Amino acid sequence: MGRKERTTKEILQAELAGKKRTPLYHPDVLEKLRQEFERWRNATVRKEDRENWRAIPCTILGSDIQREMLYTPLSNPDFDYMQDLGHSGQEPFTRGIHANMYRGKEFTMRQLTGFGGPEETNQRMKFMLAHGATGINALFDLPTIQMYDSDDPLSKGQVGMSGVAIDSVEDMELLFRDIPLDKVTVSLVTHYPSNTAILFPMYLALAERRGVPWNKLRGSVQNDITLEEVVRSGPEYIPPKDCFRIQCDNIEFIRQNVPLWNFVTYNGYNLREFGTSGVTEMAVALANAIGTVEEMLSRGHAVDWIGERLAFFWSPANDFFEEVARIRAVRRLWYKIIKYRFHAGSPRSMWMRCHVQTSGVSLMREEPLNNIIRAAYHALASVLGGVQSLHVDSYDEAYSVPTEEAALLSLRTQQIIQAETGVTEVVDPLGGSFYVEALTNEIETRILNEVDEIEKMGGYITAIDKGWLHKKIAEYFYDERNRIEKGLIKIVGYNIYKAPVELPPINVFQYPEGVEERQKARLARLRKQRDNEKVDAALTALEDACKKGENVVAYSLQCARARCTEGEIFKVFKKAFGLWKPPVLW
Amino acid sequence: MAGKIKVLLSKLGLDVHNRGLIIVARELRDAGMEVIYIGNSFPKEIIHTAIQEDVDVVGVSSLGGAHLTLGNDLIEDAKKEGVKHHMAFIIGGVFPPEDAGKLKETGFDETFIPGATREEIVSSIRKIVSQKVSRSL
Repeated sequence: MGRKERTTKEILQAELAGKKRTPLYHPDVLEKLRQEFERWRNATVRKEDRENWRAIPCTILGSDIQREMLYTPLSNPDFDYMQDLGHSGQEPFTRGIHANMYRGKEFTMRQLTGFGGPEETNQRMKFMLAHGATGINALFDLPTIQMYDSDDPLSKGQVGMSGVAIDSVEDMELLFRDIPLDKVTVSLVTHYPSNTAILFPMYLALAERRGVPWNKLRGSVQNDITLEEVVRSGPEYIPPKDCFRIQCDNIEFIRQNVPLWNFVTYNGYNLREFGTSGVTEMAVALANAIGTVEEMLSRGHAVDWIGERLAFFWSPANDFFEEVARIRAVRRLWYKIIKYRFHAGSPRSMWMRCHVQTSGVSLMREEPLNNIIRAAYHALASVLGGVQSLHVDSYDEAYSVPTEEAALLSLRTQQIIQAETGVTEVVDPLGGSFYVEALTNEIETRILNEVDEIEKMGGYITAIDKGWLHKKIAEYFYDERNRIEKGLIKIVGYNIYKAPVELPPINVFQYPEGVEERQKARLARLRKQRDNEKVDAALTALEDACKKGENVVAYSLQCARARCTEGEIFKVFKKAFGLWKPPVLW
Repeated sequence: MAGKIKVLLSKLGLDVHNRGLIIVARELRDAGMEVIYIGNSFPKEIIHTAIQEDVDVVGVSSLGGAHLTLGNDLIEDAKKEGVKHHMAFIIGGVFPPEDAGKLKETGFDETFIPGATREEIVSSIRKIVSQKVSRSL
């Protein structure tokens, strides 16, 4: 934003100012109500409640938004049903992106899966599918996430930890053994633009091997600069501007070649879990989305071409109604941004489609079974907010990767909400609640204000580069820790209602043995058997593309086909772009 | 004891989760210790830096499952370089309950799991350091 451009907030204010509003409540009725309300407040409400009329819920990952003791039509006197809500599947999509929501399509039950080698994770995926999971969500191990091969000295002792080890297309083949790529929707949790540009082409190469046309593939990648440059601790980083370019290269290539694939999932989740309020989580994701659309427009693409496949990923935490309101608020705000700032025409572009994962940071090691209850509330709030797909965290995650039993219980949590509670029969059941609507408005305003703050400092990449976001996060989580220690944030079984006696231990997942050796052996075979001239040629071509500014994905695809390893491809990025030092966080 | 306690903090290996360790860094600094935070590092490098900086305490954080393997390497390297007896070694992170015992057997002076309070961390570091000092006198 070098020129004197208007910020998104200024654009929305100007565009919406001219719209005639048709408030639902007649002014005379409101006036009468105001008198009734005052009378009630003075006559019926206790003095101490009157004095403490507004309170701030003190919760993990909360936003410090004040709440009144009782909400009435007076909390939202200007309420215009059609303009503020509309019906479901109708602008501004506050009530949901589809008219019939879960009656038409159940939320996708997509549990994260990943540990050990591709063989072990393949087994667990099939176990989850056999128990009714409706999507796959593959999580990679630390070396794969950080883009080192299993035989790299830096990977020692970490292969298959916290996710599945994938080194090349050969591992991708094992990971998806017996899983029909044209039938199941697959979320590849490639957090970063760099590892998306490396791992997704391996998936495409696998589809080619199996004769599955790319236009039959459905699923998503994350591909989010926030994760690579901010929400990560790692030994090596490429600079933000190059990372952002790869993010956009991924989007462009996937959009052009894999039409049903969601090429980006703006990941608020990990940012919030790292330490931000629900407001900042969404503001940052929107600022990133705005930056991406700008970049795509400047590359000559139409807004609807990209808009139709944008997706978001949120972290529902403990403040139940805030979570419901947040999802509704950001759905409406995204609609306004893409419509009024970018002039999208297709309704699909105006949909804020989202996946959620219940908050992991809210789970405690003490009395781990309590986490089942916490995650169920997070999941329920998400469904009441109208999300498209869910992962429910497992109760044992403060100990290790979930056991099979715990993972199944998470899936069952979703299935119980879906099949037993009846909440999916009615669209946006909390819509129209005086409280939820007032909170939705408040949160929308706050998100837009933070987007404005980011844009005014020069946009999202600048906010990362200058360390603004890093500092904001560090302040937040330090403060949160203090509040927990002081008991201001109450946590059952931890700082209140502590168990007087120690509870029996739970079963904890143990990693399979021998994974590192197996991966190393497979890599050794691969490096011997493949055509290494082809490998070198593909890597050199990729380096040229990086330097010339061509879309890198067409070239990393050649690398995947030539059976290059992840580490080899990442080395090219490091060489071509150089390394970057992130700001210090404390 | 004389002077500030000097602490080296590092993420162990490729683990991506640094929220907890950054909080600890700040809390130790607020408690009057001198803190050197080096981000992600590996056993040899960590010991090398610890010697160079002549620290009293080496604290590492692992939430990704590699605490036993890399933890063991760290202690082995410390022994090889002859610093195990006078530096304190502390590890924190997410690990199964029985692994805390294994880490102590390996040679860590203290282990911390999620939920450890500022008070617990600060006072235990002070205690371990003073024990090491009195032993080496």
